[in-house]
Amino acid sequence: MEKEASQLEKDHVHSVYEKIAPHFHDARYKAWPKVQQFLSDQDPGSLIADIGCGNGKYLHINSQTYKLGCDYCFPLVESARNDGHEVMVCHSLCLPYRNECFDAVLSIAVIHHFSTKERRVRAIKEMARTLRVGGQMMIYVWAMEQKRRKFEKQDVFVPWNPSPPSWTLSNTCSRGIQKSINQKDKRLALDQHSPKLAGTLKVHRQARSSSFVGEKETTHNLFEKSLRWSLFSRSLDSILDLSNQWHQRELSTFSNGNIQLDELNRGKLFEKIRQGGFIKHISNLSLHVKQQLKIDYHPKQSAFHQLQNRRKTDSSLQDTNNYCSMATWNKQPQRSPNGACLRYYHVFKEGELVELIEHHVPELHVIHSYFDHANWCVIAEKIHVWKI
Amino acid sequence: MKLLTHNMLTSHVRGVRPGGGFPLRIQATEVKVNNVDFNQEFVARMIPKVEWGALVEAAESLGHLSDLPHELPPEYENNEDFLRKVHHVLLEVEVMEGILKCPDSGREFPITKGIPNMLLSEEET
Repeated sequence: MEKEASQLEKDHVHSVYEKIAPHFHDARYKAWPKVQQFLSDQDPGSLIADIGCGNGKYLHINSQTYKLGCDYCFPLVESARNDGHEVMVCHSLCLPYRNECFDAVLSIAVIHHFSTKERRVRAIKEMARTLRVGGQMMIYVWAMEQKRRKFEKQDVFVPWNPSPPSWTLSNTCSRGIQKSINQKDKRLALDQHSPKLAGTLKVHRQARSSSFVGEKETTHNLFEKSLRWSLFSRSLDSILDLSNQWHQRELSTFSNGNIQLDELNRGKLFEKIRQGGFIKHISNLSLHVKQQLKIDYHPKQSAFHQLQNRRKTDSSLQDTNNYCSMATWNKQPQRSPNGACLRYYHVFKEGELVELIEHHVPELHVIHSYFDHANWCVIAEKIHVWKI
Repeated sequence: MKLLTHNMLTSHVRGVRPGGGFPLRIQATEVKVNNVDFNQEFVARMIPKVEWGALVEAAESLGHLSDLPHELPPEYENNEDFLRKVHHVLLEVEVMEGILKCPDSGREFPITKGIPNMLLSEEET
């Protein structure tokens, strides 16, 4: 179980982050305000650890404190180092720090990458070990309950979207594509004069030109999928990014353009997948489209689960009562054909993170728990545990 | 890797006795000295958090001890001269390339481009 858990994390956390590390200097990965606030509130002269620091986006906050970042991913650590931060490579289940040496510890969007409850508890305990009594830890994990999407299960694979459609393109609509969209599907009502749509259409054209398309693919379907995909994966990564101009533009485009992401259009997509035609094309597709076709989180009828069912694997992911319940999880980790860019997450239910700490980590006392956009968050204080 | 960072690091190789993984011995092949702005209050607050003996030993091994005392002087908070020396050793001396060695097990952790690699294999944890 431990070996499978570790292997799953290697395949669908570590190797993915290594591949996508070069893209992490994207402006969308900004520091979240409440995390910034937590850091700014620390006393001058505090020693702070950011466990799973990634490219170090929190390490510059509050110059009166000394911050140490660490991460498993070499390229991300190097990136943080290039920004002048003190960082190292290690595994968060075995932190190379002395006991009780930090005044504060951060764990932002890390614990949800551990594939068993036991490992998640171990990760929290290991961080608590390095925290001095009276010091505080802040933990952020992805929530199952999200405004824009609902996860059907808690253990999921999420593709990473390398870049959103570019909005900086010309203002003129491509008439050819415009015409083809109007001909193919009148339900899709596009505002022909919207410059924002022009950008979307051009992206769609660019996506098409990478020659992945099966003959049955329509312009309209691709366009829709492309946007839906980008929206979905961005909604997980950066929905909280308050300065995310792209996201806001995207939303206003949807309302301006009256794009109907309705049942019927989705139904078409699922029908194609059921026919199996798309599966054959997967190996010929560019990475961008691979992500789109492989997993599609429809609230009611997920293509992901369709794919799972086709492989006759156990798609029920129960990880509640059983402390080490990897057994009911897929025997084989989900792999995209080139093994790239599907990140594993255990998304947390309301109360789950608090319960994990209260029941399994007696050395931490939860002082604040809240929902921050798409995350469940906890601030906990290290306390003395008296053993009799 | 600055010496303040080094002061927090320990080896957790399986079998090492409690506390036996600290402090890691530094074998540096490249050391850099930077200019870092002196913040007296910051340094004074940092001193109680640091294992003083380990800091002195590390500075000495890099040839940067200068005349930093082996024992903490009393009432150092207002001793600017002393605090400047501590500042230099904690924040201005950086090991860019080298090795950190576990005093108990002998296990070596490389430092490359200033980044220590503290990863252990599954057999070692």
